[in-house]
This record gives sequence, structure tokens and C-alpha cells, in this order.
Amino acid sequence: MEQWTKKHILGIKDLSRDEIETVFNLAASFKEISQREVKKVPALRGKTVLNLFFENSTRTRTSFELAAKRLSGDVVNFSVSTSSLAKEESIIDTIKNLETYHPDIMIIRIESSTSLHTLTKYTQASIVNAGDGRNEHPTQALLDMFTVKEVRGNVENLNVLIVGDIMHSRVARSNIFGFQRFGGKVTVCGPSTLIPYEFQNLGVKISYDFDKAIEDADVVIMLRIQKERQTSCFFPTMREYLDRFALTPERLRRAKKDVIIMHPGPINWDIEISSSLKEQVHPLILKQAENGLAVRMAVLYLVGTQKRELVEVE
Amino acid sequence: MKILIKNATIVNADNIFEADILTANTRIVKVAKDITPPEPVDEVIDAKGKHVFPGFIDLHTHLRTPGREDEEDFLTGSQAAAAGGFTKIFCMPNTLPSIDNEGLAKWIFEESQKIGIVDIYPVGAITKNREGKELTEFGALRRVGCLSVSDDGVSLPDSLILRRALEYAKMIDILVVEHCEDLRLANKGAMRESFISSKYGVSAIPDIAESLIVARNIEMAKYLNTRIHLAHISTAKSVEFVKRAKNEGVKVTAETCPHYFMLTVDDIEENSFDARFKVNPPLGEKKDVEKIREALRDGVIDCIATDHAPHSHAEKELPFEDAPFGLIGLEFAFSLTYTHLVKAGILDLKEIANKLSANPAKIVGLSHCGVIQEGFIADIVIADLNRQWIIQEDKIRSKSKNTPFIGYQLYGVVEKTIHKGKIVFNEL
Amino acid sequence: MNNQKEILTGEDIKRTLYRLTHEILEKDLDPKNIVLIGIQTRGVHLAKRIKNIIKELENYDIDLGILDITLYRDDLTAIGPKPVVKETKIDFDLSGKVAILVDDVLFTGRTVRASLDAILDFGRPKRIELLVLVDRGHRELPIRADFVGKNIPTNAGERVEVHLQEVDGKDEVVVLRNTDNR
Repeated sequence: MEQWTKKHILGIKDLSRDEIETVFNLAASFKEISQREVKKVPALRGKTVLNLFFENSTRTRTSFELAAKRLSGDVVNFSVSTSSLAKEESIIDTIKNLETYHPDIMIIRIESSTSLHTLTKYTQASIVNAGDGRNEHPTQALLDMFTVKEVRGNVENLNVLIVGDIMHSRVARSNIFGFQRFGGKVTVCGPSTLIPYEFQNLGVKISYDFDKAIEDADVVIMLRIQKERQTSCFFPTMREYLDRFALTPERLRRAKKDVIIMHPGPINWDIEISSSLKEQVHPLILKQAENGLAVRMAVLYLVGTQKRELVEVE
Repeated sequence: MKILIKNATIVNADNIFEADILTANTRIVKVAKDITPPEPVDEVIDAKGKHVFPGFIDLHTHLRTPGREDEEDFLTGSQAAAAGGFTKIFCMPNTLPSIDNEGLAKWIFEESQKIGIVDIYPVGAITKNREGKELTEFGALRRVGCLSVSDDGVSLPDSLILRRALEYAKMIDILVVEHCEDLRLANKGAMRESFISSKYGVSAIPDIAESLIVARNIEMAKYLNTRIHLAHISTAKSVEFVKRAKNEGVKVTAETCPHYFMLTVDDIEENSFDARFKVNPPLGEKKDVEKIREALRDGVIDCIATDHAPHSHAEKELPFEDAPFGLIGLEFAFSLTYTHLVKAGILDLKEIANKLSANPAKIVGLSHCGVIQEGFIADIVIADLNRQWIIQEDKIRSKSKNTPFIGYQLYGVVEKTIHKGKIVFNEL
Repeated sequence: MNNQKEILTGEDIKRTLYRLTHEILEKDLDPKNIVLIGIQTRGVHLAKRIKNIIKELENYDIDLGILDITLYRDDLTAIGPKPVVKETKIDFDLSGKVAILVDDVLFTGRTVRASLDAILDFGRPKRIELLVLVDRGHRELPIRADFVGKNIPTNAGERVEVHLQEVDGKDEVVVLRNTDNR
């Protein structure tokens, strides 16, 4: 690829295979920086990076913050709960306000699944999606795929199984779009109440049988399950959920030998994954986190060093 | 006041003909060729080349008064209505407080008379505070002039209260208007459950949230052998239920709104989830739009209402999921209908007079309205069907500007609106 | 249309590298004190060749580092992101060593400036020296090379290209005269 043209990273939906590969190649180079004595390069020197978190998150925020710092960007964290925002100031007003500081990149995590595109109209900065509602979490999918590529040597044409609360998961959506770009066959597996019927139009296979679905999988992504889904009647009890959708040693034995088990974290041990599998699966899940940093550096580098053309801001 | 309209092409629900119209005070006194008035008139309007319709009647409007006068009030609402050719509008009771007593209803009638631009008919609430528990005093509401009751915004929560409301309304002879939505099933969704809602993970309302309640309401009306009016029908499945019921002779009537024969979920995605496209019932799929158009053509849907729902700019600037439902429509309903149904060959021109005037009058029981005829109320719209206009935000008369139709180029300009024999809107 | 003129042949390049290696050894005496840092891409291959010559002459395996300077460029925003950042690998201690930066062509000096910044992030060498195969002039910064294969006076409209077997399939140095209207 000669030039990077995407100003914003809003979702995997909008990225081509070429663009995703560019991120992978860069991330591979960027991993080395974190191993240096001086863990810093001047690529984003003088750039202002706003880490805007309208929803709680420590891991993703820290990962992005560190990524920007390793590239010498000036990072400012801005965390607010949307509930207090809704009363006093709209998100658009917040963006307009922050725009007066002339930021170069806004990393945004937000509860709404639908707002990021609109927000691009109110800032000159590049917007990087750090998770928007149930829509997408593009850097998570990029780091998941990058990890698979690192472990297997390729990400092409894989059978990918995503297990858990599909309906409410932005990680699931981004990974579906991502692996499909590389010819992957994605199967989603979970309680029928947590898989939107319309998902089959996304070209995924729907399965309610984890035991069977795991047999063909090259990659299994376990999603975090939220306890409040039980109280809202998506499944009867946690016990029954675990019985069907937890990753246990017995289930893992049915899988291919070289299956890759991933989890976006934080893991509820003995809920999504049996703690007896800890030694076996945890190292790779930690590697995901490490790769997350490199992938986020790559993304920030690509949007942050772009030639700026002034756009009309509303 | 006497007005003589010369050379009019009169469009009624059942015929189109050339004639002059003479009004005196609030009534149409003569409709005939080449009227020579016996005494001088106050105003002569040459309507050559124009089309003249009976004043439009909107069974479903929100005027936000009392409570949210920052979004709309009786004056701006009346002005918007007159500019859109409406002469009688029915304002829904989801106000603060809700219109659930004769005192408030009476006050609205009085305010409407004072302003004198259009007639505002308050729709009484079915239950106190629209809570779905205790019936309001239908008798008292009827006595001060209410012709319909509704808990609009929500459906009656259970079948027993629906039964009581319909039975009691039958005795009082007041129309029950039901908003059809299974609230539990809708589960605080923001848009129609669809491929797009799944793709973006937006909480969504399945189409059967509407049709389930449509079916319930029809069964109940059939069982009680009484009339019921279904508000803003938006799905193909609902249309099927209404169609079958009408064939069986159930006394059900139904309305739809311009956005349901115009827009789909795809428009939401194409407009980056602009909350101006957020409306309840939510915009459906292409097959729904097609079915709604077909139902309008076949008479399964009786009338077109606006569901005019003003919201402040700040509220509509919220993320799509958090923004309130609703869009404004009084000023655009006629031109949207003319451009996208009549000019598109789906409806005959007469059907405008039917769907926007005659049928609403019949459904709600307004006598001497909805037709241009001697002895009828002098509610008249003069429009030029050849002129085009573009919907522009700064030209909107309503206090709120929340419409998804900004920038639409439409045929049919309302030039004059006459209400009870008085010119209340003059575009030129 | 390009006018191409060969300045150095493959044989010339080989001879030049031997001469430069001798110059290094003469000047810095003990190869144990020397490390080579090749600048991506062709500098790396030149550095590898010099390493091999030292091995041949002194029977000593000298440390070789690889440096990509993309992230240190001063014109990143002006040119837009280079979607390719190549490997950087300096997995030995630089302190007290003489670090010899190796690049193919010395032109404006900006690449060398960036390399100096980068190297200093990895440690504190005793001295940094610069070796280039070709010096074509037109410096924009006060930088000079310690070891120069060949000085080639050029004008601004010309381009100097070093082609190496490992990358281009052939060893040669050519001057390209750009006759396009740009």
C-alpha cells in the first residue's frame, strides 16, 4: 500500500483487507519499540491525542494511552459518564468544546452504537473508535486477528467460533467483519436469546451446540458474559449457561489440536473458561493484551501522521 | 365575511369539477359555475389553474401544550397547520399534565378559538395520567367537545382495560384511538429490528410489536361490535390484519403517516443515525413501505395523519438511542402525499380529498366537514400542483424543526387556506 | 523519460567496499570496538557485506544492527504516513563502542540526522561515524561522512540510485536524469 487514506478508524466494516494488513505489518514492527530501553519514538511528536471515555474502561484506555505515549504523542485523558453528560451538555457540545484545543486524534469510547459517524462532523481530528455501544471495537478485532496471524502464521480462510453474548457484543461484530475480510467462516454460538436472528444476513453460521461447533474451529473467541443478562431473562440461570457455553477441558478436547483460544478480557474464570484451563489458555490471552498495544500504536501512527486537509466543521 | 373563489378546479373525495365557490360567514353557501353574487363580497380569489380541496383534517398531532411550550404551542402549531392546508387538527393528550379531564380539554378549545387560525380538538386520554389503570370521564370530555380519546404514545397495557374503554366509549359515542405497540416486546428499542439494527447492535423493536396489538384490538372491537381507530400503522403485517378485519365487517379504521410510505431503515443508516429519522413506530423495511402504499390505494388504510411530533434541537442532537421519538409533519403531509403517491401514480388526485379530508371527518364524526359542498363548513385549501418547493429548515413555521425531509423537492404548494370562511394562510 | 548513466559497476562496488573496510580498520584499529548499524534498506545490505569482509580479513564476527528511521523523520506529516515501517534490531550494547552508520547515498543529511536520534535511543556509543557508498552533495544539514566510497557531483534534477544484488538483482550505481516536466 502506497498511501493510507482513512482519516478515521470507526469500524472494521469500513476497512479493506489491504488496510488491515497494513496495520498488521506496522504492529509487527512496533512490537520491537516496547522492548527497547527507551520505549519511545518521535513519530507523533507535537500531536495532541485525546482519550475520551464516555464509558468506563481501564484496560483499553491504558492501552491507548501507552500507545500514544510510546509514539511521543501528548495524551490527555477525559473520562465522563454519559448520564451526567446527558443532563448538562450534549456529547456534540463536548466535542465542539474539546475541538477548540485543536487535537489531532480523538480516541472515543461511547455507550451509543450510532454516534461516532456524526461526531466526525464536529472535529478536524481523526476519530479512533475505542468501542461504541454494541456496534464495533475495531482495535480489539485487529489485535485478535494479529495474534492469530502471529501464532499461526496466517489469518486467511479460518473457521472462527465466537461464543457467548453475541447480541450485545461489539467485539463479536468487529471480529465477524474482520475474519470475513480474510475469507474466514465465522460461526456464532450462544443462547438463542442472545443471537439476533438477523445475524445470518451477516453471512455467519448460527449454532447453539458448542460441543459440535468447537470441532471444526481454528480459532475460538470466548466473550465475557454479563450477569445481568440472567435477570433480564436471556437465560434461566448461570448454571445452565455454564453447562452449555463455558469452555471446559472436556470441550477443549473435542477441538483441533492447534486451536487458538482467545478472550477480550477480563476473564471471569469458571464462568467463560474453566480455571483448570488457566495454564493452557492464559498465556495467549495475555499475548493479546500485549499485541493490543502494538496494534493501537499502528492505528494511531496511521491516522496521526496523515497529511491534514482542513475540513468544514459544523 | 364573504369570499368568492372563481374558476376553481374543485377536488372532492368523489369527484373533480370546475366551479365557483361562494362562502358567507363560516359556511359554503353556493358551489356553481359562474356565480354572480347578489350582494358585494369582501374578497374575490381567482383560482384559475389551481386546485381547491376541502380543508385537511389531521387526526393525530402533538402540540406539546401544556408542558413543553418550548417545542410547540397552540399559535405556532396552528400556523404550521394552516400553512400545510389543515383546518382541523386533533392534538394528542401526552402533555404535561395529560389531557385527562374536561377542564383542560375545555381550556384548549377556548385557546384554539382565541387564536382562530384552525380548530384544535383535544384528544382526551383514555386513562388517568395515561397510566393505563383508571378510565377518564369520557362523558365529561365528550360534553366539552372531544370527539376522540387515546393514550397515544403507549398502548393500553392489558386487554381488560381495553375492553372497558371500548365498551364505555360505545355508550358515550366517542372514538377510541389506539397506539399499537407491545411495550414489553419493544423493550426500549430505538429502531426497527432489522439487518441494520443487528449490524450496528442498536436495540430494536420487532415489527410484530405493532401487529400483535393490532390483532388484539381488532379481536376486541369485533367481539364488542364497536368501532376502534388504529393510529399510525406502519407494518405490512398490520395491514394484513386490518384488511382481513375489514372484509369481515369489523368496525376498524386505520391511519398511516407520510414517513411510513416514504422512508425505511436504510434511510437511517444512510443518514448516519441522525435522530431526526427516529420515530415511533419505527421506520420499516421496503416491503412495509410497499404494503402501506398498497393499503392506501386499496382503502385498507382510511386516512393520512401527520403524527406531528415537535422536539427541541437539543433533544434530537442526542445519540440515536437516547433521542426521543417523533418528527414534525403538518407543513409537508399534503405535498409529500401529492408528490410521492399521486404523481407517482399510486393514488388518484381525488384520494387526497378522501385521505386528508373526507375520511378523517367521517372517522371522528365531524359533521359538515371534509367536502366542498353547499351548506358545509367553509374550510378550503387552494393549491398550485404545478409549483415546486424545497423543504428548508429556516422556512419551517413549527417551533421545532425536526424533520427528516429537509432538502426534499416537492410538488404542490398550498397558496391559501380558508378556515370557517376566513383566510388564515396566504402564501403569496 | 529517464537518461541513465552508470557510475559504478558491480566490480567497482566490490573494490570500493574493500577499500572502505580497510579505512575503517586502519582508523579504528580493533574491530572488537566497532559495531555496524545499517540503515534500511540498502544500508543494511552494505553493512552485511562489510561485516563479511571484516570476517574475511580479521576472522572476527562484528556486531551488526539494523535501523529503520521512518518513525524519526522530520517530514512525516508532510509526506503522509508511510504504511511500511521496516524492522529495527539493535540487540547488543552500544556503550563504549564506535558505531558506524552505513547508508547507500548521502544527500540532504536528513536521514542521517534521524538515524542519530534513533541510535541515541538505544544507548550511548563512544563515537558515531558515517559510511556511505555515494556522496552526491546538496546537504541541508551540517553533516559529513567519515568514509565515502565515491563523490558524485550532481544537480538537483538528477537522481542517484544504488542497486544491490540482494534487493535489485544487480550491483551498480546509476545517475538518472529526470527529463519529465514536473
